[in-house]
Amino acid sequence: MIAYLSTLAVLVSVAALVGLGLNFQWGVAGLVNFGVVGFVALGAYATALTVPYAGWLGAMVIAAAVSAAMSTVLAFLSTRLCGELPRHRHHRLWRGGRYSPAQRKLADGRGARHCRHPAAVRLLVPAAQYDAFLLGFAVLLVIVTFLVLEMLVRSPLGRALRAVRDDPTVAGALGKPVLLLRIKAFAIGGAVMGIAGSLHAFYLTYIDPSQFTSIITAYAFMAVILGGRGSNVGLVIGAGTIMALIEATRFLKDALNVVDGAQLAALRLGLIGIGIILLLILRPQGMLAEPYQRVRDFFPDDKEGR
Amino acid sequence: MLGQLILNGLVTGSLLALPALALTMVFGILKFPNFAVGAMLTFGAYTAWVMNAMFGLPLLIATAIAAMISAAVAVLSDVLVFQRLRDAGSITLLVASMGLSLILENVCRFAFGNATRNLNVDIARPIRWHGLRINHEQLVTATSVVICVIVIQLLLYTSPLGRAMRATADNAALASVRGIERDTIVRITWALSGCSLALSGVLAGLDRAVDPLLGWNYQIPVFAAAILGGLGSPIGAVTGALVIGLAEELSTLILPTNYRQIVSFAIILLLLLVRNQGLFGGKAVRK
Repeated sequence: MIAYLSTLAVLVSVAALVGLGLNFQWGVAGLVNFGVVGFVALGAYATALTVPYAGWLGAMVIAAAVSAAMSTVLAFLSTRLCGELPRHRHHRLWRGGRYSPAQRKLADGRGARHCRHPAAVRLLVPAAQYDAFLLGFAVLLVIVTFLVLEMLVRSPLGRALRAVRDDPTVAGALGKPVLLLRIKAFAIGGAVMGIAGSLHAFYLTYIDPSQFTSIITAYAFMAVILGGRGSNVGLVIGAGTIMALIEATRFLKDALNVVDGAQLAALRLGLIGIGIILLLILRPQGMLAEPYQRVRDFFPDDKEGR
Repeated sequence: MLGQLILNGLVTGSLLALPALALTMVFGILKFPNFAVGAMLTFGAYTAWVMNAMFGLPLLIATAIAAMISAAVAVLSDVLVFQRLRDAGSITLLVASMGLSLILENVCRFAFGNATRNLNVDIARPIRWHGLRINHEQLVTATSVVICVIVIQLLLYTSPLGRAMRATADNAALASVRGIERDTIVRITWALSGCSLALSGVLAGLDRAVDPLLGWNYQIPVFAAAILGGLGSPIGAVTGALVIGLAEELSTLILPTNYRQIVSFAIILLLLLVRNQGLFGGKAVRK
């Protein structure tokens, strides 16, 4: 039971982290990124490759850094064309999760990468309690990321990002460095996705390119839409709801004897598609819309600034 | 060897031309890239397979029925989904088309499983001509695509309907002042794109085999072709498709065949850096 619970918690945590990253890029800063899964894969591979040398914490930091660096490069390329076209570029990275030459080489040459249980963790806890430990670790990671991102959203940086999202021209006219802000948002979101990939690698202890399919991107978008763009609380609730629904439909198989495994998988994915469309039509603002903020939320003492 | 590669490349490219046309036409009218092209292609291929292999109809009739059913599905998806979201912006429409793509693909998977299916056609020896090996499928693909492209071009540029479509693509509000109903034009565009996707599904099914991921194999090259030609430009989409097809085949001279798909990505990337409106596009498409 504890094993199942921890599996569920880790799945929700990974989804929530990916969603938090996307929410920062898309929800807060208005930058659409269809390459989500590429950054997750990048984080996972960075973790798997560096964990023997850097330890588990070091590997996680490296994963975040690599993903952030890659995001910066891509943001530079795509914000040059700001507006409609950047999304196409990210298709490249998103499929790159499967096809980039480096990964192909890894996959062809040595088969799947094995990511050993973090050495420090194994010293601290016996294998029997690894599940329970991982559960706590995943939840802690989500809480910390959530708090940091929430702080960023409330900070002057978050305010500037929302301004750039709502109207880049006005924000630019007020002296905000639009390009730099966008790149920062993209890099921070990318780092969070890298951390998600890292957790994914720790959880499965074994990764190969076929795990990183575009369905991860679809889940992340659905979580952001369901939770409400720009709201971190909504996102965590949204990601939790989606993963719970997906897990719950696993048991449909017992109820419906007529369908086999492949059909059940198809049914679940199809339902996700229907879910995305229904959400967009019926409740485009999501469960928790981004809180409407006034000047005095930021400057409570300022009597005149209203 | 080089001649063979060029021939293969042209045929591969012509296979991409129809989906790229479908993508670019919908983009022209509705201003969003329809992510569901791949899934609609798969759906068309399965419909044709059902008619052809299960009901034993000749391939030509099966294709015609599949084209009609796919057109109906495309119009239905507009009525149920895209029309309701028309004012919501292109990103929302794009995400909705991702959802639609999941639905269509998994309807096929639910009904027919993951196994690959083959269309019921006679196996024939390839024709040899001046040292070139030409498959019958390649001949069929090339001829039907050429005919379709000519028909669509004539429709767009010589008929009143085509004029109305181009007017709506150019400026929907101005077109409606002149009495062109936008909704009708949008539905007709969806129907056309459904037809051409079903046809390309059949051609793709002849080239490979029909399976739930059939459309996925074409998704990226098709987007690359449409972007290369300049989204919204029909003649550009066809040219772009031929260029992508040739580039993918010719790249096998210097790259291992595994990396063939990289070529499409590289072309998109380079193009967006150098000339982001594409080869035939007007000014960059902005909202």
